[in-house]
Amino acid sequence: MKWIKALFLGKGRTVPGTARFSFPIRIFSILCFALLFVWPTLRLVALGFTSEKGLTLANYQKILHDPYTWRVVWNTMMISVGSTAIAFVLGLFFAWMVAYVNIRGKKWMQVFIVLPFVIPSYITTLAWTQLFSENGLVARALALLSIQGHPWNLYSYTGMIFILGLTHYPLVYLFTVNVLRQIPREMEQACRASGGSKVTTFFRVTLPMALPGIVSGTFLAFLASLDNFGIPAFLGIPAHISVLSTHIYQQIIGFGPDAFASASVFSVLLGGLALLGMLCQWLFQRRMKATETSVADREPRYFPARMPKVLVESGIWLFFLVTACIPFAAMMITSLLPAYGLEFTLQHLSLQNYRFVLLESPDTQMAIRNSLRLAAVTTVIGAVIGTFFAYLQIRRPSRLLKISELFIGLPYALPGTVMALSMIFVWMEPIPGWNPGIYGSTLILFIAYFTRFLILQVRGSTTAVLQVDVSMEEAAQVSGASWWQKWRKILIPLLLPGILNGAGLVFLTALTELTVSALLYSAQSKTISVVIFSYEQAGYTTYSTAFSSLIIILLIIGFAGLSMIHFFWKRKVGVHHVDLH
Amino acid sequence: MSICIKEVGRTFGAFTALDKINLIVEDGEFLAILGPSGCGKTTLLRLLAGFDAPTAGTIEMDGRIVGSPRHSLPPEQRNIGMVFQSFALWPHMNVRKHIEFSLLHHQYVRTALKKEYKQRTDEVLRMIKLQHFADRMPAELSGGQKQRVALGRAIAPQPKLLLMDEPLSSLDAELRIAMRGELQDIHRLTGATIIYVTHDQSEALAMADRMVVMNRGTVEQIGTPKEIYMHPKTDFVARFVGKANLIKGTWTGKTFSPDEAPDSRWPDPGVSELLKKQAVYPARPEQLALSRASSGIPATVTNVQYQGKEIHYTVRTNGGIWRVDTDLSQNYDMGDSVFLKLKSTYDLSAEM
Repeated sequence: MKWIKALFLGKGRTVPGTARFSFPIRIFSILCFALLFVWPTLRLVALGFTSEKGLTLANYQKILHDPYTWRVVWNTMMISVGSTAIAFVLGLFFAWMVAYVNIRGKKWMQVFIVLPFVIPSYITTLAWTQLFSENGLVARALALLSIQGHPWNLYSYTGMIFILGLTHYPLVYLFTVNVLRQIPREMEQACRASGGSKVTTFFRVTLPMALPGIVSGTFLAFLASLDNFGIPAFLGIPAHISVLSTHIYQQIIGFGPDAFASASVFSVLLGGLALLGMLCQWLFQRRMKATETSVADREPRYFPARMPKVLVESGIWLFFLVTACIPFAAMMITSLLPAYGLEFTLQHLSLQNYRFVLLESPDTQMAIRNSLRLAAVTTVIGAVIGTFFAYLQIRRPSRLLKISELFIGLPYALPGTVMALSMIFVWMEPIPGWNPGIYGSTLILFIAYFTRFLILQVRGSTTAVLQVDVSMEEAAQVSGASWWQKWRKILIPLLLPGILNGAGLVFLTALTELTVSALLYSAQSKTISVVIFSYEQAGYTTYSTAFSSLIIILLIIGFAGLSMIHFFWKRKVGVHHVDLH
Repeated sequence: MSICIKEVGRTFGAFTALDKINLIVEDGEFLAILGPSGCGKTTLLRLLAGFDAPTAGTIEMDGRIVGSPRHSLPPEQRNIGMVFQSFALWPHMNVRKHIEFSLLHHQYVRTALKKEYKQRTDEVLRMIKLQHFADRMPAELSGGQKQRVALGRAIAPQPKLLLMDEPLSSLDAELRIAMRGELQDIHRLTGATIIYVTHDQSEALAMADRMVVMNRGTVEQIGTPKEIYMHPKTDFVARFVGKANLIKGTWTGKTFSPDEAPDSRWPDPGVSELLKKQAVYPARPEQLALSRASSGIPATVTNVQYQGKEIHYTVRTNGGIWRVDTDLSQNYDMGDSVFLKLKSTYDLSAEM
């Protein structure tokens, strides 16, 4: 019992006089956490070792001896490494440009850079396939220029690598740009003053100092590629190229005799790869000394002459035009054609696909309703619990909370297919012989979304709590405010921007989530992503493009709305003036 | 409010932040708690505010136990106001809202005051000279103005105890001096007991009725500023408050002979028994003098700092390095050989 007590009390630090939670509540909450966040993973691993005869290694022996298994692993690694390389180059380039170089329009550039976070990757994939389709814009352009040859076949290794890379470079960018801004410019000036050239300065000072950020972002891009389901599902499945995430999915929906046991083994392989990636990142980060936390310096440091500056700027905007505008235009064009493959002329234009999607198909309406409801409920409950958790963890740190955070992070760190599979195993029969009917209902999707995305809210809220100095609360207390008055009048107003950041991310992610949903949906609980995916699989490309275009328009409206709120909030409160000392 | 602190201790794991503190604060007193960083003064203040509870001993306010290891009255139920080092202004509220917040929430506000809270807010705004800045947000205020808002918020509900945690340390030097006067005015106007934590001995000396010097979680000395400055009880107080040089030597009754100048005889202006036992003489820089005449402790000038109204010398003798402040008439250069002695106004041996 001693270790349990030690767990609850943290580093022998007691805070007398403040309300503490009673022992039963602690036990109850830790059980809830374990059941929701840890138990599913354990069940999944255990399943791989069981058969009708009891404990066995047979599943592993069979699968590990199958050459096809190693083919799938090889595909997964090759595609992930390749796409990470693209993400690394693009992310580093944009981070350096935005952080250091005196170019115009950075605000808008950043909007375009984070676009892949807002637009789900399967919609991006759909858009690109329309651009390169047999009748797409590229084919049309080739014909117009009388160039022999076919447009690039995206249903291939290179296609997957390319689109995964484009989808994940913002991860490298975001991590790097923050670190670059935090390197004090005096560090570089000191190198120049000691006789180092610009190139020496970059390689001997800037790069080593930015390495923690670059490495974090790159590993995350790698993990995201391992995890991604939408892109290999849309491009790989038709081309019969399997990676681990799509292979697990196909095993499950194939419903073979030992589909679950075999899927479990593949999940352990995929989960193992992901954990290995995380371990590498952790080891690497531990060796690096944390850079002194200094204030982000947003002023440019390199001032190119007029001509190179214009050249770089046009290059960047051309990149955005080609990667972020033209594919989506191609998708819109397909969605406006009454039949796939028709030539794009004014006479052919029609809104009949949109009419079908919005008014006639019962599936799409239900999907929009389902996704909105799921996302909203997940966001609201997550915002309350996540913020409360973040607050406790910062104001009253204990070992229990530290371990709980690991639990909460687990479902998000594990690849989505693995996570979904473990949810199936647990909720089909939480206790042997008892099926509460959660699997196959909307509830399992809600539980899956909640456990998977809670960590996003916790991180958003943690950042918010860290920015509010504890003296803000103490000042309210000595002014006589009760617990509730303190939260209502001081904490919530101050935390709101951060909470909303986290909540917005949770909402957007949940609204268009595909990986988990594709394995957990039922006839009554189809989501937006599932409907688009099934249209595409059934060959209804005009419907899937129309529905996707609608979603994109919805997302853009939502995103613009949020930015407006943020903008006005900032103007009113001056969030950047929050006292940090 | 009168406060009685009995045998109070606070430990954090193996670290003892406060050890057996005993202190009585009279109603209406301005008490400064002075000490270097990490001496436990802020911990003591947080115990008084109720943000933390002692692990030993009791704290009484007006005869009622508010803090003990078993029970701690939360801050919002104590009749206190507090000014924070960082000011702790809420970035989403304007100046007026800050003052109103404590008027509306404080649990000891007189009903008459609460009813007329708008008038009281105006009155406080006038007191802190911010009546024309009532609608400004904290981000639009200067350091001194922020400081006054924090002060206004603390005094508006007329608490009987005002706690101040290094309230002037975030301000620049000139403003710091100017604000001292304002704090003294506030003390006179409100009549509240003030407990003021600082690491700046000149602030404590200038404002406090009494001061407490703390070091390593214990009280070194309690007394009026004059007592503490003129008659330090311990070597720590002598060095920390008076910047005294502790010169080694021999005490014979009421006279002192430095080891390095056995012929000199320095008088006893009231040196504490403890220091006498340690065989040292606490000589503040302004009590020492330099001369070229060969009497006193032989020394070499190692540093000269011209201050305008006086000159600060650092000299080295065989026994150590000492600081001597002299008037402008005394001019020595670096490397000069001089003799260190007690200033004649203090020295008895000159008369003998």
